[in-house]
Amino acid sequence: MQGLKIQRSPVEYKPDVLMWKLEGAMDSDCIDLINTEFNSILEMKQNFLVAEMSNVSFVSSAAIGQLMGHRQTLVEKGGDLVIAGLSFDIKTKLTLMGATKIFKFYNELRSAVNAYNWEIEKKAENVWLSFPPELQFVPSVRQLVSRVARQKGYTQRDAFRIETIVDEVCNNAVEHGSEKAARNIDLTISIDRDKIQLEVVNASDPEKIEALEALSKSVVKTPAPKLGDKRGRGLALIKMLSNGLDINCSTEGTSVHVTKLREE
Amino acid sequence: MDNSNPYCIKMRFPSDLDYIPPVRKFVAETLQVNHFSPKFAYRSEVIVDEICHNAIIHGSRTMDAMVEIDCKIFPDRFEFEAHDQGGTRDDLDKLKNAMNKTETPSIEPLLEKRERAGLGLEIVRLLSEDVKLEIGENNMTTVRVVRKREDV
Amino acid sequence: MESQIDLEYEEIKGHTNTKLVRFIGDLDATNVETVLEKICNLFNDGFINILADFKKLRYVNSTGLGILLHFSKSAKEKGGSFKIANVNENVYEIIEIIGATSLLEIYDEIDDAIAALK
Repeated sequence: MQGLKIQRSPVEYKPDVLMWKLEGAMDSDCIDLINTEFNSILEMKQNFLVAEMSNVSFVSSAAIGQLMGHRQTLVEKGGDLVIAGLSFDIKTKLTLMGATKIFKFYNELRSAVNAYNWEIEKKAENVWLSFPPELQFVPSVRQLVSRVARQKGYTQRDAFRIETIVDEVCNNAVEHGSEKAARNIDLTISIDRDKIQLEVVNASDPEKIEALEALSKSVVKTPAPKLGDKRGRGLALIKMLSNGLDINCSTEGTSVHVTKLREE
Repeated sequence: MDNSNPYCIKMRFPSDLDYIPPVRKFVAETLQVNHFSPKFAYRSEVIVDEICHNAIIHGSRTMDAMVEIDCKIFPDRFEFEAHDQGGTRDDLDKLKNAMNKTETPSIEPLLEKRERAGLGLEIVRLLSEDVKLEIGENNMTTVRVVRKREDV
Repeated sequence: MESQIDLEYEEIKGHTNTKLVRFIGDLDATNVETVLEKICNLFNDGFINILADFKKLRYVNSTGLGILLHFSKSAKEKGGSFKIANVNENVYEIIEIIGATSLLEIYDEIDDAIAALK
């Protein structure tokens, strides 16, 4: 059986995460090697470690036991040891050994680093979409945003509210935007663990700018706008469902910025 | 919308597998509202999934790497492009090999590892009329797919 | 995070080492880890025959297929089987394209899969 080879290097695009590339068979003979390597890592004061194991052919219970111990050491220092890239065969064996109750497993290195950015560094992620200013596109756009929210761990209830906000903002952009402009509607989403921010920009209709400005001022400034008013009902609903609403109208375009805090 | 004036949709999203399900469903739903059949939409969903997966796994060398997709909806066809920020030489070799293969790739890599560039692209090739791979400056990669409407 | 997939379980009368598993939703790269763990736990609990009902499995990609092939292989190694039934047309097409129809045990109906149990 091929022996174990270990290489360590900071992740190229994320130097504060250390990649521990393990290759070959992790049998009981390699325990000393694992321990020596781990002790060097501790001296480097790197507390976040991704064990990249896509080329591991065998894992003994003794070896996984050592990794569990090392993970515990890192957790006590505020870090973690996660596993990426395991073959389905090895993952099955580790599941039977109970390792899935201890470690976080990722498909590959990139997913592990993305999770670190999202969970530990709480970084925002951005999505930009440009779509034609026609109503038929709005249902799939609002569901896209709702699904992104769900995928990033927001509850069904939060995602539904976000979907409603996107629907209203995009419907307004289609209905009140310039029919003559050949410009698409731009939607930018910025999402992090605590909030989602949306910005929708569309071409302004010069004849409607003044009326839109007056309406948006009255809705944005009114603490509790009335849904009963026919004009501005969509904006009033957005205001009620969101935690921040800002509208800018000019000949360059109309932009609506909405902030929705994660509630649950 | 007509053949000289298609609907154009562009999207940029982080190189993160989490984004693939919402993105592929968005494309499928958008095709359906534009009167492409559910089967056409489903096959396109698979194509978007496989290409975006490759872009994320093999084309993300920076932390802020994004995948950009470009969809053009014509009355008689759907054109899809995915651009990534380029992978390593090894990544590109894998992609090129997968594109140049003439026989159906082996299923073994799926079983033994999670290596699937070959099979993913094979699915894409079998589900579309035309697939092209372009490697530009700094290894930036573009995959371009054309699918014709089946009922035209 | 993962996209939406639910697994529902049911006992099969007269087959103590068999579990019916209904796959509901999409099987893709974002949820294969979870599905792998759940099916492995069934193997671990002695259910070496898995009957997978795909009636409500809407979507599968090449990663999802990889895990299905793995379940089939793992079940055989344990002396059991991983049988699939009620596959919708779209999902079947992807299995077929990849050339996996001969590697997976696929039945029209769950009853056919039950009848094929040893």
